Amino acid sequence: MIEVTIDGKKIEVEKGTTALEAAEALGIEIPTLCYHPGLPADGNCRLCQVEVIDRGRKSLAISCMYPIRGPVEIFTDTEDVRRARKFVIQLLIARSPQSPVLQKLAEEYGVDVPDERFVQKGEVDLCIRCGRCVRACAELGNECIDFVSRGWEKEVNTPFNEPSKTCIGCGSCAEVCPTGAIVVTEKDGTRTIWDRTFRLVACDACGTPFATEEQLEAAKPEFEQTDTRVLCPRCRKIAEARTIVLLDGAQGGHV
Amino acid sequence: MHFATIKDLDDYRAGLVAGESDIPRIWVCAGPGCLANGSMNIYNAILAYVDEKGLKVDVDLKAEATGCQGFCERGPLVILRLKKGGDEVLYQHVREKDVPEIMERTVLTGELVQRLLYRDPAKKQTISSPDGIPFYSRQRHVVLKNLGRINPLSLDDAILAGGYAGLAKALAMGPEGVVKVVKDSGLRGRGGGGFPTGVKWESAAVVEAPQKFVVVNGDEGDPGAFMDRAVMEGDPHTMLEGLAIGGYAVGATRGIIYVRNEYPLAVEHLRLAIEEAREVGLLGKNILGSGFDFDIEIFRGGGAFVCGESTALMTSIEGRAGVPRVKYIRSTEKGLWDAPAVLNNVETWANIPQIVLKGADWFKSMGTPKSTGTKVFSLVGKVKNSGLVEVPMGTTLRTMIFDIGGGVTNDREFKAVQTGGPSGGCLPASELDRPVDFDQLKAAGSMMGSGGMIVMDDHTCMVNVAQYFVDFLVEESCGKCTPCREGLKAMQTLLHGLTSGKARARDTALLKGIAENVRDTALCGLGKTAANPVLSTMHWFPEEYEEHEKEGFCRAGVCSGLYALEVDPEVCTGCTLCEKVCPVGAASGEKKRPHLIDKKTCITCGSCLDACRFRAIKVVRRSE
Repeated sequence: MIEVTIDGKKIEVEKGTTALEAAEALGIEIPTLCYHPGLPADGNCRLCQVEVIDRGRKSLAISCMYPIRGPVEIFTDTEDVRRARKFVIQLLIARSPQSPVLQKLAEEYGVDVPDERFVQKGEVDLCIRCGRCVRACAELGNECIDFVSRGWEKEVNTPFNEPSKTCIGCGSCAEVCPTGAIVVTEKDGTRTIWDRTFRLVACDACGTPFATEEQLEAAKPEFEQTDTRVLCPRCRKIAEARTIVLLDGAQGGHV
Repeated sequence: MHFATIKDLDDYRAGLVAGESDIPRIWVCAGPGCLANGSMNIYNAILAYVDEKGLKVDVDLKAEATGCQGFCERGPLVILRLKKGGDEVLYQHVREKDVPEIMERTVLTGELVQRLLYRDPAKKQTISSPDGIPFYSRQRHVVLKNLGRINPLSLDDAILAGGYAGLAKALAMGPEGVVKVVKDSGLRGRGGGGFPTGVKWESAAVVEAPQKFVVVNGDEGDPGAFMDRAVMEGDPHTMLEGLAIGGYAVGATRGIIYVRNEYPLAVEHLRLAIEEAREVGLLGKNILGSGFDFDIEIFRGGGAFVCGESTALMTSIEGRAGVPRVKYIRSTEKGLWDAPAVLNNVETWANIPQIVLKGADWFKSMGTPKSTGTKVFSLVGKVKNSGLVEVPMGTTLRTMIFDIGGGVTNDREFKAVQTGGPSGGCLPASELDRPVDFDQLKAAGSMMGSGGMIVMDDHTCMVNVAQYFVDFLVEESCGKCTPCREGLKAMQTLLHGLTSGKARARDTALLKGIAENVRDTALCGLGKTAANPVLSTMHWFPEEYEEHEKEGFCRAGVCSGLYALEVDPEVCTGCTLCEKVCPVGAASGEKKRPHLIDKKTCITCGSCLDACRFRAIKVVRRSE
């Protein structure tokens, strides 16, 4: 275990713990955008900057990936840290001035919206190119979206900007998107995402359409099920709870 | 032929030395510049002449096409040596039609063809030996020692020049011994970062892993840089040998050369060299009976600038888009496919065999205490002698640009030198006496980079230069991190405003703030240094930014519409050249009488400014 100091508070962490995890354990909040606890960190948005003093050397680091390997001192709210975070917010809001998430951050950090020369014109673009959607899709083993082009032109898309054949319409990409840039529309028992429309399957219990056929196929367990009904998450929970209660009852009564 | 032991190799080399006959040697430069100027036709004409006269190659004379001989400005180059140990003769600007004369007079009768010799502009006399030409005499060739004197496709030539002797010695020293000599030599990474090579090797050597890699960064992408290309094309075996030594030192059995596909000749020469080395047992299993297994494969890069960044390069080798990763965990721990990988630049690897052979003290005897050895530069831009230059570290910019480079083209005034490529900076005339090494360049706000050196004259606008490099980087940024992707674009917007007269008050200060923030917050080396061209030009040439912002004036006469042109009647000779080049008929006058430029018609394209040989055309403010 390594003892580190964050904003004057001491904490013991295991080697390799990130500065962000250590700060969270102390209840210190650090703003993040590209970071998601369920996905591998990528460190691209550069918002979660902190100041690290390692053996007398001061430097800015991104807390979501900075691994604690020695007794360092970390500061999460210095002038340099605020300057770096303000810069990142300013750049992002210039690209996506309509984003409520970025507007809130800008307000919190006192960032002025830059002059009109830097503000993106044309279509509303809420995407901040953080790639949480790309990582989520890859983690699920589908890899149907990825970054296309590079630099300023970089964007997330399906191959050749065509509806993806491997997409299962699970919507995980939209789920993890920090700015709500990925649009999912559901109507008349269908779900449309990335230009492809999926038919939704209704819950056998309550009748609400809740998942795509492809999604259910991908999520089908490999073991044999006793209850083969297709249930939405809510009904599934209820059904499982009932099973547990019945089992408990069975154990108490007969065995 | 197969070398099973070190003795086999030594014996073979001794045989080659003994068999070297005392016949005339001809080396035709087949470096990229000379090649483009038809040097292969010259080489073929020599072979045709030999054939026609009933002479025999390798019996009566030996003629070879070589790698870059360095003096690109004067190419195509042909070097001759009439007998073993005799003086060399350098012929410059050689054409195919000169071949019969060179063969008849020089090769067969020993006379010199005066008009093909280098003429010293100061002393007004011809110099025949390359060693006597200031361009070469001020250099010290370590990495380039074989270039121009061996056939890159001949393993025999390489072995005769001492090739693989370093590997043989290393195998007898043991891995720790090799790491120690590299560490003691003080060699620092030639790719630009200047990280101590021995320290890097040591950190990989101590890691326990089932598989390790050694990797060559041959993704030379800086505009105007061709050092690594020259080494890979002209002396591939030296680099392979260095890589094998590195593999042995750190415990890697696989070497990968990442070379851009735009270097087809380098790819081809490396491929042939690897095959040949493999055939004789200098690569493969149980090299020279040492028990050390090592092989090399080539990976061709698609030419993205960012793939020169070490982690992006490795991602690219892994088969994914070349995008850098956060480097808190070093590649020597987890690099390629999560295995430890030592990545060094071409020039770094090419230094290794001689360091092992001649020792750390020999290497340290060159250069400065903290930047040992030599450095290869590609000297380009507005300089008389463009070419490939290798000098000891610590050589001043003045020596490089004025003594070796011969000064500024057309004797115009020196304004700045750009070092380190798009991530480097521009240094002004007041910095000319600065010795060039890693720390000195960094202290001046530039960097060593991989060794590009672009000379600029007074007809260069520094804001425009910064804009050129930022435009390049906007194109080449991978777009992964916010500061580089969005920040560079903001910098580009401001720079284009400055160069087109649309700047607003305090734009320069705004630009500086953005540049500093990009430097401090970007993810990789490309992003962190992307602000250098802006920050260094702003530091050394603040007045130009101020004039662009406040007056909409470009003193260099480059930014269209931001200046006016006037003819100085005292200087103008009335040669009419300005009138001839002016595309809109704004320049006019009688022959041999001072000309005039009509400011209303002039579109400020700058053609007359470039064309005037008497510097009679002056850049003035539009209101004047």
